[in-house]
Amino acid sequence: MIARFVLNGRPREIDVRPEQTLLELLRDTLGVFDVKEGCDEGVCGVCTVLLEGRPASACLVLAAALRGRAVTTVRGLERNGDLHPLQQAFVKYGAVQCGFCTPGMLLTTLAFLERHRHPDREAIRAALEGNLCRCTGYTKIVDAVEAYVRGGYARD
Amino acid sequence: MLMYPFEYVAPTRVEEALGLLREHGDDAKVLAGGQSLIPMLHYRLARPRVVVDINALPLTDIAVDDGHVRLGALVRHHQLEESETLARRYPVLAEAARLVGNVRVRTLGTLGGSLAHADPAAELPVAMSALDARLTIASASEQRRVAARDFFTGPLTTALGPDELLTAIDVPATVDYGWAVEELSRRAGDFAIVVVVALVRLDRGGRVDDVRLAFGGVADRPVHARAAEDGLRGHEPSADALTHAAQIARDALDPPSDAFVSGAYRRHLTGVLCRRALARAVDRARR
Amino acid sequence: MTETVLTRPELRVVGQPVERHDARDKVMAATAYAADWALPGMLHAAVLRSPHPSARIVRLDTTRAAAMAGVAAVLTAQDVPRNTLSTDVPGQTTSVGPLRATLHVLAEDRVRHEGEPIALVAAETLALAYAAVEAIDVDYAPTAGVFTPEDALGANAPPVHASGNLLAQWRIARGNVAAALATAAVVVEGEYTTQMVDAAYLEPESGVAWIDSDGVITIRLSTQVIEHFRDVAEVLQVPQNRVRVIGTYLGGGFGGKEDVTVEAYLGLLTLKTGRPVKMVWTRHESLLSRAKRHPYRLRYRTGATAGGEIVAQQIDLLADAGAYAYLSALVLLYSSVTAAGPYRVPNVEVQARVAYTNNPPTSAMRGFGAMQTVFGYESQMDRVARALGVDPVAVRRVNALRRGDTLPVGQVLETHVAIPELAERAWAELGPPTPPRAPHVRVGRGLACNFQSYGRIVWLHDWASAWVGFEMDGSLVVRCGCPDVGGGQASSLCQIAAEILGVPFARISVHVSDSALTPLAGTTTASRQLYMSGNAVLKTARELRVQLLRVASPMLGVDAEALDMEDDHVVTRDGRSLALPELLRECARVGVPRSHLGVYHAPAGEPVDLAKGSGKVFPDYTFGAHAAEVEVDTETGVVRVLRYAAAHDVGRAINPQSVEGQIQGGAVQGLGYGLMEEVVLDEGRNLTTSFATYLIPTAADVPDVQAIVLESGEGLGPFNARGIGEPPIGPPAAAIANAIEAATGARITRLPITAERVARALGLFTP
Repeated sequence: MIARFVLNGRPREIDVRPEQTLLELLRDTLGVFDVKEGCDEGVCGVCTVLLEGRPASACLVLAAALRGRAVTTVRGLERNGDLHPLQQAFVKYGAVQCGFCTPGMLLTTLAFLERHRHPDREAIRAALEGNLCRCTGYTKIVDAVEAYVRGGYARD
Repeated sequence: MLMYPFEYVAPTRVEEALGLLREHGDDAKVLAGGQSLIPMLHYRLARPRVVVDINALPLTDIAVDDGHVRLGALVRHHQLEESETLARRYPVLAEAARLVGNVRVRTLGTLGGSLAHADPAAELPVAMSALDARLTIASASEQRRVAARDFFTGPLTTALGPDELLTAIDVPATVDYGWAVEELSRRAGDFAIVVVVALVRLDRGGRVDDVRLAFGGVADRPVHARAAEDGLRGHEPSADALTHAAQIARDALDPPSDAFVSGAYRRHLTGVLCRRALARAVDRARR
Repeated sequence: MTETVLTRPELRVVGQPVERHDARDKVMAATAYAADWALPGMLHAAVLRSPHPSARIVRLDTTRAAAMAGVAAVLTAQDVPRNTLSTDVPGQTTSVGPLRATLHVLAEDRVRHEGEPIALVAAETLALAYAAVEAIDVDYAPTAGVFTPEDALGANAPPVHASGNLLAQWRIARGNVAAALATAAVVVEGEYTTQMVDAAYLEPESGVAWIDSDGVITIRLSTQVIEHFRDVAEVLQVPQNRVRVIGTYLGGGFGGKEDVTVEAYLGLLTLKTGRPVKMVWTRHESLLSRAKRHPYRLRYRTGATAGGEIVAQQIDLLADAGAYAYLSALVLLYSSVTAAGPYRVPNVEVQARVAYTNNPPTSAMRGFGAMQTVFGYESQMDRVARALGVDPVAVRRVNALRRGDTLPVGQVLETHVAIPELAERAWAELGPPTPPRAPHVRVGRGLACNFQSYGRIVWLHDWASAWVGFEMDGSLVVRCGCPDVGGGQASSLCQIAAEILGVPFARISVHVSDSALTPLAGTTTASRQLYMSGNAVLKTARELRVQLLRVASPMLGVDAEALDMEDDHVVTRDGRSLALPELLRECARVGVPRSHLGVYHAPAGEPVDLAKGSGKVFPDYTFGAHAAEVEVDTETGVVRVLRYAAAHDVGRAINPQSVEGQIQGGAVQGLGYGLMEEVVLDEGRNLTTSFATYLIPTAADVPDVQAIVLESGEGLGPFNARGIGEPPIGPPAAAIANAIEAATGARITRLPITAERVARALGLFTP
């Protein structure tokens, strides 16, 4: 089977087995490790990608079923080696400890902010409810997102 | 864990899909959003020889007319949540969809998939029961319509045969109904322990003209609280009347216990959430 | 927020919330975790695990599996050169049983817990490895098992091990508890039950092993202990210098990656096949088979005067070791030492026992036994306060240990105990009470204090080493064997080196966690890493500085003591400076090394007989106080935490932002323990082997944690820091239980505090 999709702006066509997930395709075939494997059932959020701009669990998407859609991972956020302002906020506000949840948190946040421009802290927490973190206790992640929102979207 | 290997087919026409289901029967599983099927495959709880991916089928419309809304089986939860049309005319559906899973489940999960999967604690089956929706089921040889209230036949079991596909869901209009969805989970974004959907319409005198009440998580399928509904129709929706109706509904239940939550607590919870749902629905009906 | 109690000296880098050096890579997802690694020719490994909690293995036949195309190796116990590892069970007398506990790499003739490993497979693809595992023919004869410590210690209990089911016990006795209880104004009795929980790190156990070009078996994995290379060498029966463990940046550890996890399997398979091998556990596998936190039954009888002074504590602890000993005896020791809480109690009796069962094994987890006891002693403190009409902050103030007091175990506290200030600050941080938002809602507040040791038991003679060296251009390298679990361990070392050697933080590169290439620094556990490797880097950097300034002195014509190092220069008090590259060239010319290897030895002590209360057990403790405001829905039992404050005296915050992060993260892990986490077992079978059933808190389940960082300036770590990794996980469960009682009058004594438990306690329904 051929998996057809656009990965971070670049069209790809890869030979896959029917039962291969997008997560397996990215990690095992393409060596793209920005999506992690945490639970294989779409609960933990570490395999989050943006599929046509919306968060999806890569572990639950069959590679063969991609049908040309756009997939964004964290490395799709950088521009010319510069961190996206949200990434900068995560670094600055101490929102990163072990870092395993971080890519999923970043992508989920950006997709959420596309549709909700000025969330308060409670709304940010609700938006991130599907991305588990075991290290930070979430407070500094919310701090970072709030700071990014307050910063007026330096780059959109 | 890796899934067992399977064959994958992705039909683009409904007839094609139905032909494949007829051909493969129990050897095939239908793939819609994948949010229930793929975890089952990862846990190796199912081993289909063929996976029929129906995502290319033209079952994605939300079509409103005066009497009802027709929802294609492949309408995604986030569409139900974000549709302005539904927000105006069927807000209870938008709210039920908002409560499904987490944001990633709502990106890809489908209405049809949720109904066909029939988790006893899922929100959309309960909402469809309360709304008295009609489900269109197609096979290679016929098309039939089944009431939502008759569709769920057991835990994770529905009236769908192995060669059948749920294609559309018709929801009668609920103009002038107040509504509410109440649920409780063990943790944010988790499966509901109990979910209650209530709809109430009041007559000009402020009495209950019609009421719909359905529960999830209290039996092996959604429960439609007929006796409680009958008891409320024609009456003033006073606090006492609502409490009484909630008690009738609760006392009719014998929910199962599992390793995490006891049946007795589920029963108690249903009474509380039912009363709250009715109160909020009445409040909305009055506005 | 960070507040300084005592004056801090002039520090440039230490004490600043510098951006952690690993944060940039992590936000770009550029960090290569253990599973983000592939080598040419790599095989994939899988484990066959027992489905039974207790059974004999009647037949084990790997012929079919081994014959499958693409399968490179199938190993069972007989293929393991040294399959049985023995560990000392510390401090037990012969009345308990033999002093050694055994652990098998792969099961031999019986299995003692569900998930116990029986065979290993390596194959060309992961799918083939799983297929081969399924093709291994095993016949089991299930045998009677035992599933509670009470049953295990009862008559006629089936023995989990030949040595009997009592694995370890400790006893502490001081004063005359019976007499003190008899004359106390109030005696509060309580029995508390804490549950088994999982570390639930987001990164499952993972690693890749290969044999390098020098024939060294190299294992790159997610681990808190690189010293396990010795255990692997023992298993493989190869010399220890032929095994190398490279520890990656962990995606969380929390004690769950303290024991050997995948390394022995990887070593075996790579040695057998000669090829690289990768093993990544599934979440199901990790939840099923990885060692858990000990569940406890805690019984307390607490006696107090009318004024609220605790006069006696009689404590009985019973813990579940599961099927294998691992670190259970030590965990029980930590519980015993902390059981009476951070309070002055003249009469104390602690009886602690831990028993084998056929449940999943329990071992190290953040808090290490000193966490479970908080639920006991802080629930009791609150109940005493309530019984006497004393307010919760006051009762802690009255009873808090003070410098110079002796712990029940005989240790004299040489340090400042900030409990009263911490309790007041945490309580005040909650602000004005939140009014109940509806008639069916009650709001209440609870306080819980704790103490947790940092640094290892003193008779273990702990040490850590570090290497610090300059390159010719003045950039600095730090090498230290310290695994980084995500708490900023490696980054803190850079901050310390930057402070001493005047090199900008960004000009330091750090290499950690490689048993062959970085000087060993011991485990990242026991809240010891900042204390130990931090001190090692501090000492090493200071010794290097002395070495270099001795060369700089004649170059600048100033005594070495009058020189400072700052901004890549050596500077004099009168404003002259010498650029580092110039100094380093001179060092090369005169033959003085630009680097130094240093060792820090923790103050050590002799073993203590706990029962005789004769001395020091831990080097020091970190004290804390948490306050919670909760809302209880009195119709459903649902508890929501509205506000939460966590205060700890950390001595000195090397990186205040990292310290706050540890406090917030630990507090939320503690809230998960208090409110929702539970490994549910049914006769030894785990019903919670998925993240859909084993629930950890999401961002929507917990409020902001207001972290209050007190710096007393006293601590044994670098710049007087104290360990902060574990302390914050202790108080939350008790703080919540205390708040619920304040709100509703109901005392919950069993964890986790689910809505159903609260509903039951409130009498809302008939069970």
